[in-house]
Amino acid sequence: MMKRRAANWAPLLLGAMTYASGAYAAPVNAQGQVAITIYNNDLALVQDVRQLDLPKGRALTDFADVSAQIRPETVTIAAPGAAVVEQNFDYDLLSPERLVDKGVGQPVTIIRTNRATGVETTERGTILANNNGTLVQIGNRIEVLGDMDARLVFDQLPEGLKARPTLSVTLDAAQGGRRPVTLSYLSRGFSWKADYVAMFDEKAGKLDVQGWVTLNNTSGTTYPAAKLLLVAGAVGDGGGGDGAEQPRFRPTRPAGIVGTQAAAREQVGDFYLYPIANPTTLAQAQQKQVSFLDVKGASATKSYWYRNAWAATSDEAQSFASVINFSNAREGGLGDALPAGTVRVYTRDASGAPQFVGEDNIGHTPMGSTLALKTGEAFDVKIQPTVEKREKIDGAEWERVAQYRITRDGKAETVSVDAPKAYWRTHMAYRLTNARAVPVTVEVVQAGLDRGWHDTRVSAESAKGEMRNADERVWKITIPAQGSVNLTAQIDARY
Amino acid sequence: MRPIVLGAALMAAAPLAAQQVVTSSGPARVAVTIYRAPDRGAADAINPAWLGGYALISEEREVAIPAGDATIRFEGVAAGMLAETALVEGLGAGVSEKNLDAELLSPRNLYARAFGRPVTLRRTDAKGHTREEPAIIRSAPDGAAIVQTKAGFEIANCGGLKDAIAYEGLPEGLNARPTLSIATHAASAQKARVRLTYLAWGFDWQAHYVVKLAPGAQAAEMTAWVTLANGDTTGFAQAQAAVVGGKPKFEESREEPEEAQDLVLHCRLSPVPPPLNEAAPVFAPPAPVAMMADIMVTGSKRMMAPPVVVKEEVLGDLRLYRVPMPTNVTAHSQKQVALMAARRVKLGLIHRADVDVGAEDGESQQARIRLRMANRKADGLGLALPAGGVAVVQQVGAAALPVGEGAMEDKAVGETANVEIGTSPQVRLESRTRRINDRVEMITATARNANRWPVHFESQQLLPDGARVISASAKLGRQDGHPLWAVTIPAGGKVSLSYRLQLPR
Repeated sequence: MMKRRAANWAPLLLGAMTYASGAYAAPVNAQGQVAITIYNNDLALVQDVRQLDLPKGRALTDFADVSAQIRPETVTIAAPGAAVVEQNFDYDLLSPERLVDKGVGQPVTIIRTNRATGVETTERGTILANNNGTLVQIGNRIEVLGDMDARLVFDQLPEGLKARPTLSVTLDAAQGGRRPVTLSYLSRGFSWKADYVAMFDEKAGKLDVQGWVTLNNTSGTTYPAAKLLLVAGAVGDGGGGDGAEQPRFRPTRPAGIVGTQAAAREQVGDFYLYPIANPTTLAQAQQKQVSFLDVKGASATKSYWYRNAWAATSDEAQSFASVINFSNAREGGLGDALPAGTVRVYTRDASGAPQFVGEDNIGHTPMGSTLALKTGEAFDVKIQPTVEKREKIDGAEWERVAQYRITRDGKAETVSVDAPKAYWRTHMAYRLTNARAVPVTVEVVQAGLDRGWHDTRVSAESAKGEMRNADERVWKITIPAQGSVNLTAQIDARY
Repeated sequence: MRPIVLGAALMAAAPLAAQQVVTSSGPARVAVTIYRAPDRGAADAINPAWLGGYALISEEREVAIPAGDATIRFEGVAAGMLAETALVEGLGAGVSEKNLDAELLSPRNLYARAFGRPVTLRRTDAKGHTREEPAIIRSAPDGAAIVQTKAGFEIANCGGLKDAIAYEGLPEGLNARPTLSIATHAASAQKARVRLTYLAWGFDWQAHYVVKLAPGAQAAEMTAWVTLANGDTTGFAQAQAAVVGGKPKFEESREEPEEAQDLVLHCRLSPVPPPLNEAAPVFAPPAPVAMMADIMVTGSKRMMAPPVVVKEEVLGDLRLYRVPMPTNVTAHSQKQVALMAARRVKLGLIHRADVDVGAEDGESQQARIRLRMANRKADGLGLALPAGGVAVVQQVGAAALPVGEGAMEDKAVGETANVEIGTSPQVRLESRTRRINDRVEMITATARNANRWPVHFESQQLLPDGARVISASAKLGRQDGHPLWAVTIPAGGKVSLSYRLQLPR
């Protein structure tokens, strides 16, 4: 550990004279060649190759300018011809309290100011204790520092107190000399996601998409000219990391189809890599965006979607969700795997200026997928679901709902339990309205059909529907321009 | 010892390091489109202290791009800019990267950047004498300053001295405000007209409808206003302003801007608990709510025919309402423009109280008052009505007194709006249920009107599952899947309904 003595002051002062004339010189950075690999989940691998002159034998080396959010347990150091004896991560920070604490028993200079005359007198003394007040001994006197109008001047900074968290490593080198030392560690405070700008032309059915990688550095440290590599994935978060929010129960959004094409990109494990071509400066508290995708004229369509929970009446019409459908397949689509992020959709207004019309998040999406972006609620296309009537269907039929097999005294016996089979018939009516100047096709989803019985039937309906799964029936209806459609369905269920 | 906070005023101005940096100080043309706060209900007022909506800002700027690699800095953008939404068009060479530098110039950041560097310590003693002394900063800003002077290592602002730190210049990379910059590479120098488009927080708008009603009337005079608010520190002069109706999906969470922490030099020497093993992140306290200075309301002649009405336009599945002339969207202000000029509108005023069979019996309930408007040309409307508050006023002498207040969701053309504006102490409903046998109940309901004019009264019969109405004393309609009793109650009169209810087995 270097000891800074007062005697070192003279050259520092000289340095100060040269500084005083102008702005700061470029800050001296102890980093070497830095490569940063950033994952989606607040995790990055930093590799820093520094050229260090190591003395022969054991020596302590400080590694300054590491990430302030370093995970010290992940640090590894590779130095050719040298072995690591120990690694320390010091976070005992220099502050007035710690300075005085560490100075207990040490000789210090006490400068006392005469309040009346302003004259300063300098004495030498010792800090006796620092417990809820600082006691100093000057000669034979013991005084409380706070009552003295005096300040302490230390000859040196105590060892072990650092201005900022510092990684220090004891290396044992077989030979002295300069060599590349590779420092690598994991750090928090880095993240990236994709941001897409989609210009949608509804009339032409075309979508122009620009993709930007958005990087954030809140690690507390600036990395000039770093090589960056982005991994589209999250490691070590125990799954669920496709980057998008997972629906808690059934999906309550229009579904896309997951593709199976492989994009022409490098992979690590199951994750795609997005390297950034040139060394880039990643400054602290900076958000940086780098372009990675620019596709014009992919085909896209607009659709409308509404999902009604079981037997819900609305006394006011509800808006359909506006959905934009497109594909990232090689043919007719965006032709690339899409890392998780936000797609913001714009449409040109009457004057030709782009206006924001909504956004949606996507997960990591393999190439060849069909995407359905829910961008908002339609002003002009609405639905009013009503429970018109509920009636009990009485039947003399009884059903064996359970059968048990019991073995009693080695003899098998079958027990049947009979229960009345009672159905409720629910008459649903959906009033679909379209105030737009063009006809639209909407998808109405009635959910909540399956509550464990698996025998709900739709016994009558005004348009042919389809069971998407045991729980949901879907109707595709075209509503004429400035018109309305009444959709009715009769649902027979156990409740 | 009193802690002092170092002021930035001490800093000497210094040039930035020489690099090809082009600064664009402001836009030549700007358009601002304001979107409502996504989670604010139709009835909720704008919160001027914390505007939860956002705006799309689109600027045209003249930029001289030098040949080779250069950085273009955009000044005068909205402080609430969402940098990830920024889109730059019109650069021939394209944009290789965009940066938002958010590390702000603050006393604390300046101190942190000056670590290990010479500064000037201006020391004032108890008598008020000031002297200057060179020093070197030896500690990080957490805690307090420890400096190295000629005498040795000491704690700033201790022992009867008041210390201020003066820096030699500005370090690179600290900005007065978050600043967007882009990196460009051009083959030759060129002048470009660049379009910068981005979303920014801190805007909101709201529609207000005012209905002037005469008691018992079937028509009213209706006006509507758009109130738009800018809570940003940046104003937009002569902007093309517009607001968007409807509900675009917008899920960004508004993050607090990184709070610039204070630099406090204190001289507290008593021991503090040793640092924890884990360097716990220090959370800044929430930012103080920005004060809204100078709330400016224009358009004070509210009940007169306004000269300017916003223009409605279809925007995909949304609606755009455009202010037809350039206008100033000033920082920290709100502004009102007419959404529609005063017009006569046909409407129904309905008193509504439902019979909930099976609920408590015999109690008299007040009717709720509803405005019913069909949004169609024949009735005086027929335009896309954005969600907003509805105020009902009644002319009494010279004053228009408010008699009710409600809210309306987005209403497309052809829809009917039911706006609940309050409850009436004058119109009441009582109902009774009498059991005839296991499967039959007898319901009687009586509605009374104490007003000096007749009222339209509606009452939905909320029946148990599977129940059927038989032999009603009046013809019942249907509404929302329930039997509906609709009747006019004469002035100072009452009407009754009775029916039998067949219950399921």
